[in-house]
Amino acid sequence: MEILRVENLSFRYPGAPREALRKIDLAVGAGEFILLCGPSGCGKTTLLRLLKKELSPVGEKSGEIFFEGMEQKTLSEPGDIGFVRQDPESQIVTDKVWHELAFGLENMGLPQGVIRRRVGETASFFGLQGLFRQRTDTLSGGQKQLLNLASVLVMQPKLLLLDEPTGQLDPIAASEFLSTLQKLNRELGLTVLLAEHCLEEVFPMADRVLVLEDGALLAEGEPREIGPALSEIRRDHPMLRALPSAVRIQLSLGGEGVCPLTVREGRDFLERNFPDAREEEDKEKDEGKPTPSEDGEVAAEMKNVFFRYERDGEDVLRGLSLSVKSGEILCLLGGNGAGKSTALNLFAGLERAYRGKVLVGGKPVSSYRGGSLYRGNLALLPQNPQTVFVASTVRGDLAEMLQTMNFTKEEEKKRLEEISRSMGIDRLLDRHPYDLSGGEMQKCALAKALLSEPKLLLLDEPTKGLDAFAKEELRALLVSLKEKGMTAVLVTHDAAFAAEVADRCAFLFDGEILSVDSPRNFFSENSFYTTAANRMARGILRRAVTCEQVISGCRRAVEKRGKSERFSDNGGFAPQETEEREASKAYGGEGGSE
Amino acid sequence: MRGNAGRENAFSRLHPAVLMTFFLSELLLTVFLPHPVLQAEALVGGLLFCLLLWGGEFLRELGFYLPLFVLVALTNPLFSHNGVTPLFFLNGNPVTWEALLYGIFLAVSVTGVLFWCKAYSRVMTSDKFLYLFGKVAPRLSLVLSVALRFLPAYLAQSKRVERAQKGVGLYAGESFTDRIKNRLRVFVAMVSWSTENAMEVSASMKGRGYGKKGRTNFSLFKFTSADGVFLALILSLTALTLCGAAAGMKNFAFYPRVSRVELSPVSFAACLSFGLQSLLPALWEGKERILWKYYVSKI
Amino acid sequence: MKFKGKRGAEGGAFRKKFFWKKDFLLLFGLILVLAVLIHGTEIQSVEEYYLLHLDDVTPESETVTLSITCQTVFEHEKVLDPALREGDLLPSDGVILPPTEYVLREGDTVFDILSRAVRHEKIQMEFQGADKSPFGSVYIQGIHWLYEFSCGPLSGWMYRVDGEFPQCGCSRYSLHDGQCVEWIYTCELGKDIGAEWMGGQR
Repeated sequence: MEILRVENLSFRYPGAPREALRKIDLAVGAGEFILLCGPSGCGKTTLLRLLKKELSPVGEKSGEIFFEGMEQKTLSEPGDIGFVRQDPESQIVTDKVWHELAFGLENMGLPQGVIRRRVGETASFFGLQGLFRQRTDTLSGGQKQLLNLASVLVMQPKLLLLDEPTGQLDPIAASEFLSTLQKLNRELGLTVLLAEHCLEEVFPMADRVLVLEDGALLAEGEPREIGPALSEIRRDHPMLRALPSAVRIQLSLGGEGVCPLTVREGRDFLERNFPDAREEEDKEKDEGKPTPSEDGEVAAEMKNVFFRYERDGEDVLRGLSLSVKSGEILCLLGGNGAGKSTALNLFAGLERAYRGKVLVGGKPVSSYRGGSLYRGNLALLPQNPQTVFVASTVRGDLAEMLQTMNFTKEEEKKRLEEISRSMGIDRLLDRHPYDLSGGEMQKCALAKALLSEPKLLLLDEPTKGLDAFAKEELRALLVSLKEKGMTAVLVTHDAAFAAEVADRCAFLFDGEILSVDSPRNFFSENSFYTTAANRMARGILRRAVTCEQVISGCRRAVEKRGKSERFSDNGGFAPQETEEREASKAYGGEGGSE
Repeated sequence: MRGNAGRENAFSRLHPAVLMTFFLSELLLTVFLPHPVLQAEALVGGLLFCLLLWGGEFLRELGFYLPLFVLVALTNPLFSHNGVTPLFFLNGNPVTWEALLYGIFLAVSVTGVLFWCKAYSRVMTSDKFLYLFGKVAPRLSLVLSVALRFLPAYLAQSKRVERAQKGVGLYAGESFTDRIKNRLRVFVAMVSWSTENAMEVSASMKGRGYGKKGRTNFSLFKFTSADGVFLALILSLTALTLCGAAAGMKNFAFYPRVSRVELSPVSFAACLSFGLQSLLPALWEGKERILWKYYVSKI
Repeated sequence: MKFKGKRGAEGGAFRKKFFWKKDFLLLFGLILVLAVLIHGTEIQSVEEYYLLHLDDVTPESETVTLSITCQTVFEHEKVLDPALREGDLLPSDGVILPPTEYVLREGDTVFDILSRAVRHEKIQMEFQGADKSPFGSVYIQGIHWLYEFSCGPLSGWMYRVDGEFPQCGCSRYSLHDGQCVEWIYTCELGKDIGAEWMGGQR
């Protein structure tokens, strides 16, 4: 049965030159799990908001939306369509968990007894019993988002719309959230329309995937069809980068056959088609990014540092020792509560260790006086880049930063232009910081931090809420900064990003560093805490941690096979290096037909 | 103080209306009936109840209340020289036994009221207060609930912004002007954050059907028979105490000579009833704990 | 870690609150100690305080007559503080001190004579020092446990010298030989004892 139908929907924001949505046609069957993806600004949010009458943005709208066969205008039950947004924080209305759950039902005017039963039932389904009487501000981000979901579902909606609900969560909380969503879909038959940009986990869950680009529907189909369909449109379509590792690897090596979605399927695919893939260890090592030598200059250092937040609390850091080499990008990885952000705050002088030494540029952090630590030494970007902005335009923020640095007017202007050009934020300067997308905001925040000309950049979860394209941009930015001599310490949960950008990765657990190594050594020796690409390929290419490394390893095998085949059979086909793609396609096809 | 804050005690589980009645009666009687026996009863009841609520942590808190008690008790005879029994003379003014007794009486009264206020803040949490309020003004109670949600969020965000500014080096110095400028900038930024947040919250409210007619108010509280018994008990005890007060208990004087404690049946009954009332929370709590132990022993 | 951080902040707030309480206590204590220090710490035992021997009246010595009465109280018994109604506290005739002759020392004021007399006769008396009174003079708050406002809102102590109510404070009025000082309790701001002027200083 069809639950939602969208016919020829177009939408334009007031004053906008272009339409945000163009002629969208969409039909959603009851019980379907639909994934909506596309780069930021493609119109995902606009589409979702238009589907919920109460949240429809103001603007020019044409086309029709039918819910259960009724025109949207005639709908009267707001509870029938649930909506969960990205920020867990700002969706919570009341101060207590139980009140939050009851809020929607109160609005529906239900009697006490009914509310009591429904709230209780929902709380137990979502495992919120333990938090039932707690204040909402004491919950963690993941718990908050789960509460948001629960307090929408308590109204028993028929359709659930979610706008990047895991964007602000750590991987474990995100995973928990998504599996709850899957359970809702599978066990309760709830229709789900989910917009996401982090697709690794959610892609295999979906029944159908819609790809939006520039407000128009670009591709639509089952998850296995999406990859091939996109590469059909353009071989290097930017959306391809956002797809799960298995899809990306298969598409690069050979596009035919059943498209693998999960790590398991990806591993099957690799082991069937490239059992002979072998990495040439020495060569691989050379290929790796040049790592600063062990005795390189030290930019910042911690020696046997202990820290706790309150006197009789528990140690957050216990005997942490870590040195950051000049000119490297160091990624700090670790679970929640391991003390990663705390370590950054100690470097930045926002917290003080009660024992041990914290040195920046060879001097103890506490010896920098009157803010000199933040002038030409280091800058810290917090988890939420929104907090970096205090003015009403990006330009205002940057200008204020420059004013405090005693430049002449011309110098100020010159520097503003310089930084906005090098960061690619020229066209964002006059926007309100809060109106920017996650990636744009991150870039502007970075620009503000760079104005004080730090030598050491501390970034707390810089990839949180970024789509694949923005991540790629950030990676490029960081690499170019490194080339100019910048040292960077990143705290991140994103193993794939760390594998691509880091010179060294450090694993923080229980307040101390367990291992520090180059990303290839680091991830290939972990078995849980590693990238999806590594988990897929570890049977044949133990040391490949990024998709690119897996792909090149497999191609090398193909090359070798080609040579030996040429050697034994002169008539056999010889894949040329310039036509790698063709060759790998042939092998992929063979694999698929087996 | 927060160590066992999560655990709800038996007394707190009573209906908010009952709790409110109890605290109002207890506090008002303590404040308006200046009789030493009643004050002492209020103090003992409050002390016992606080001890049951906080346990050992409260003993540490006594490190504050004991000196306060002594200070209040000693302050009065230094400044008031009335009374028929001079102990000694300070700068030509008598320091009298009566003034000292009155000081102790004041200290008993002040600490007693403080104990009850402390217990009140622990027992009458915001949701209970809002529930009672909601009966009178439903809309206002929702506004309060939203405000109580907003406030901690605001404070947390403003702290984050402050740290973020320091982290990127804007007004990061320790100088006075930098600190003031930082505060100011954070405040201005928080204004736009608040607007943004309000919009998001109102979207969330609209999305969940706020604004439709016929909104109801849900609460977790049920008026049980135990609540009825308790309420009846409180009301009758209060009535008895008031009878005693009307029959002349109010006229207890310390100056110039300490009045004798009357032993008429009426005042005796009043002392007894107020004593019982003051001990009620502790007794209730104790009863529930013993019951709990008993039930646990059967598991 | 977020959770821990939050708990940390809360713990901090708690500690702050507790410290604040201690600070408050300390401040209170300090003020008390200061007050005592400023007041001076001249401590006398009861025996030391009550003067058992006064200058004997001799034919050469200059003297004044002092009396303390509170008859007006009995006309306003309804408003009298119940604590003072107990039989033996106030003299039934209202005479706390019958007219008695005291030796006048050089420069003695009304207050000096009064304080010497009450010490000799073991009459309770409380006054507000000249430093605290807005009029720059000692103010008598109560004699014989009979305080201002003990008998209605208009009650208090006034003094009369040779039948007239002086318009200045009792520690500013210097006495001469043979004068007659009467301390009288009023319940109507002086009206009931024949003081012409209303309000102001007694």
